[in-house]
Amino acid sequence: MARALFPWVVLAALLFSAVFSTLGGGLPPADFTFCNESEVKSLDPAIVTGSPENRMINALFEGLTRLHPQTLEPIPGVAERWDLSDDGVVYTFYLRDTARWSDGTLVTADDFRYSLRRFLGPRTAAEYAYQAWYIKNGRKYNRGGSGVEPGDPVEVELNLPPDAVNSLRGELLHGTFVRLENQTGEPLPDDERDSTDRVFVVEIDGQENRFVSKDDADAGATPHDGLRWCRQVLFDFRDVGVEAVDDRTLRITLESPTPFFLSLMGFYPLYPVNQTCVETHGSPAWTYPENLVGNGPFTMQLRRIRDRIRLAKSETYWNRDEVKLNVIDALAVDSITTAMNLYMTGNVDWITEAPPTALRELIHAEPPRDDINPSTWLSSYYYLLNTTKAPLDDLRVRQALHMAVNREEIATKILAAGEQPALSLVPPGIEGYVPQLALPQDPDEARRLLAEAGFPEGKGFPRIDILYNTHEAHQSIAELIRKQWQRELGISVRTRNEEWGTYLSSQRQARYDVCRKGWVGDYADPNTFLDMFVTGGEQNNTGWGDPRYDELIAAAARESDPDKRMAIFREAEQILMRDLPILPLYYYVSKNLVKPHVRGFYNNVQDFHPLWSIWVDDSGAPNEFMQGARGR
Amino acid sequence: MIAFCIRRALWMVLTVWAVFTVSFFLMRAVPGGPFDSERALEPEIERNLKRKYNLDAPLYQQYFQTLGQVVRGDLGHCMRIGDYPVATVIREGLPISAALGSVALSFALVLGLLAGVTSAVSRGSAADVGLRLVATVGIALPNFVIAGLCILVFVFQFGWFPAAGWGSPIQVVLPAFCLGAPYAAYVARITRTSMLDVLSQDFIRTAKAKGASPGRVTFIHALRGALLPVASFLGPAVAGILTGSLVVEQIFAVPGLGSYFVQAAILRDYTLAMGVVMLYTVLLYTMNWLVDMSYAALDPRVELN
Repeated sequence: MARALFPWVVLAALLFSAVFSTLGGGLPPADFTFCNESEVKSLDPAIVTGSPENRMINALFEGLTRLHPQTLEPIPGVAERWDLSDDGVVYTFYLRDTARWSDGTLVTADDFRYSLRRFLGPRTAAEYAYQAWYIKNGRKYNRGGSGVEPGDPVEVELNLPPDAVNSLRGELLHGTFVRLENQTGEPLPDDERDSTDRVFVVEIDGQENRFVSKDDADAGATPHDGLRWCRQVLFDFRDVGVEAVDDRTLRITLESPTPFFLSLMGFYPLYPVNQTCVETHGSPAWTYPENLVGNGPFTMQLRRIRDRIRLAKSETYWNRDEVKLNVIDALAVDSITTAMNLYMTGNVDWITEAPPTALRELIHAEPPRDDINPSTWLSSYYYLLNTTKAPLDDLRVRQALHMAVNREEIATKILAAGEQPALSLVPPGIEGYVPQLALPQDPDEARRLLAEAGFPEGKGFPRIDILYNTHEAHQSIAELIRKQWQRELGISVRTRNEEWGTYLSSQRQARYDVCRKGWVGDYADPNTFLDMFVTGGEQNNTGWGDPRYDELIAAAARESDPDKRMAIFREAEQILMRDLPILPLYYYVSKNLVKPHVRGFYNNVQDFHPLWSIWVDDSGAPNEFMQGARGR
Repeated sequence: MIAFCIRRALWMVLTVWAVFTVSFFLMRAVPGGPFDSERALEPEIERNLKRKYNLDAPLYQQYFQTLGQVVRGDLGHCMRIGDYPVATVIREGLPISAALGSVALSFALVLGLLAGVTSAVSRGSAADVGLRLVATVGIALPNFVIAGLCILVFVFQFGWFPAAGWGSPIQVVLPAFCLGAPYAAYVARITRTSMLDVLSQDFIRTAKAKGASPGRVTFIHALRGALLPVASFLGPAVAGILTGSLVVEQIFAVPGLGSYFVQAAILRDYTLAMGVVMLYTVLLYTMNWLVDMSYAALDPRVELN
């Protein structure tokens, strides 16, 4: 009998040792644990765009400025002070002598120059690159070979061996761009300007050189007579407005006065990275826990894919005495219900979103809860109208659709967290700006307008679709609006859902009538909302355009007087709310659940909560998060 | 035997190639791409991204290049999820899914076989009816309902287990139970049916007639034959359970492989999706192969051919 059992015992032992080996031996608990939504895509500040990444990068790196956790005002970060020239375009930043990388070396002006160049370099493929286009010639540099014009100073990056570390740059030659031509030396026709075979003629030291871009792997082959291989030809970075005056002084010249530029320097894509680290390990290996060198308040202890990132207080951070948490766990939890379970059982201290089903109950709980306090933030939920399609090309039809929507009903019936109905694209909460409202709900006027447009009581009105990306909340809203339009206008409406990727491509190719969309402001300024709707803008998939609107947005970028600038934005938003290529529906609210013992956590208009300001206090004192909440 | 294995290996290569080809073109036929986001990319930036991942070449060139890489054992870099090579993602996720899966499977087998044999031996009794009822409920209830109930009862009512996470043995219990429950139910039903079938055969009567004890007849003579259908069910089941489950892994926040099967496709992460699909193909094929070989071990009448 014992002999028969033996293989089973061995098998069971193997099984359990296999299980225990994957468990990782249990970590000591962290001081502060929170659910950081999904797994981060990357920890390279230059290439990511999401909010889980934002939280991690803000812990691991620090920019020239930081955003105040409550007011979001830019406060000194790596730069201890700065000057602005009288014309508002030249910033001089003075770096503090105590700012250090986690390997102990100083953070220098050259580090910023290197990082901004890397961020703007076309080969980095930074999605957020446009955030640095405010820097003089930043856009030209970012556009690579397509951005140079005859007479421009250019840099030619030569090829490296194919096995070189992928983050290294090739040798640079500097010269003047003469013209584009094809390989036989004839001028290039316009339709071949984007061809990869195009020849860049560059004058270097009085000599004309002909360069063709080639992948490193193919650059071993000998080029045709008179041609030279290179990686890329692009605008000379020495003429981009980033200059390291000395070790501790950085001068940034802008295209035009940009009032939110200091806030932008506290926005993570523009944070510095460590050149030695990046160039030793290559991308993306430099972001792995064993390699990463940062300059932020925390360092990364470990990263388990789809499990957690463990942060520890940095011993080299200049402001380490103000950082109160020693160990932080950021859990990657995909499901918000699971996050909620973890929160309710006391395993995590903060979750960024409560499930909608639980939210209503939590908000209206009696006695009022001490850990939930929704607040509005800079984001809008709206519908795009495809103005290239009849009958939506008729302003009266768009007005009718707009006036027939009952936003109060949406807010009370569907939205659980106290979201406010919206009549403007720009949400309230931006200092110095008053959102410009569209006309209020008016079903009678809506019916009259629809009749005037040739569809009395909706007769003859073609059926329109409401497109939304697959999600329960979007579905309920679309269904309700469908009912409202059918009830008030007598028109036939259908809802259609597509999963995210398909929905985005339908939107981009304008294969929709009405399409759901949301937008979160990148910085606290109306520009982040309003510049989307310039004619042909990347986010303006409505086909709408207005020359006066485009002029105003351009004028606002040049205007340095804050009051005049806001007046320009107001006029622009009035045009948008008059022509209604979009129907604003509501402004989002934040839905954080934060344990009462968490201190230094503030509600603010960007739902941005830097970890360095947070601490844990078990004394039972009221925390900052609940200020102004119901029942207090 | 050796000829059988060689033939099977050749077929496996063909199958993996076919699956690779079909999924390669299917992935790319779906609208959208790995670099879609709400913030549209400038055309120049998108072109650079595409160049970086070799998506700007004509489709047939991409196909042969990717195929070449895969043959050399390079699954490429994830395009959307994590800045890791596909191989690393699989290396970190697979052991976790496999560990969870093996616990779930052992539990499913022990419970399923015991219940099935008990049902068959005491056919028609209250125990039989009761066990069959539980098994039917186990099959009918989807994973997430079982998981929800378990969390309500064992996490919130009794507080015996943590709500989610991975790292300590106690965190394995609930997900393994929820993952294994439907399999246990299937195993119980299959075992019962095939046991009944085997118990009515001549060689069982012979065994009883020569004086073998009831326990020996049931567990040695009958069960061995009755395991054949269970084994053929287990082949694909093992492949499925070891590569993880989207639902259970999401509910219990287990960092396994399961959710990549869905997430990678939704996010158009071409390389990762190809990686997990091929991993699943290889596992499924291998398991079926093992099942075929186990037939010969379980039933002397079967010849490998």
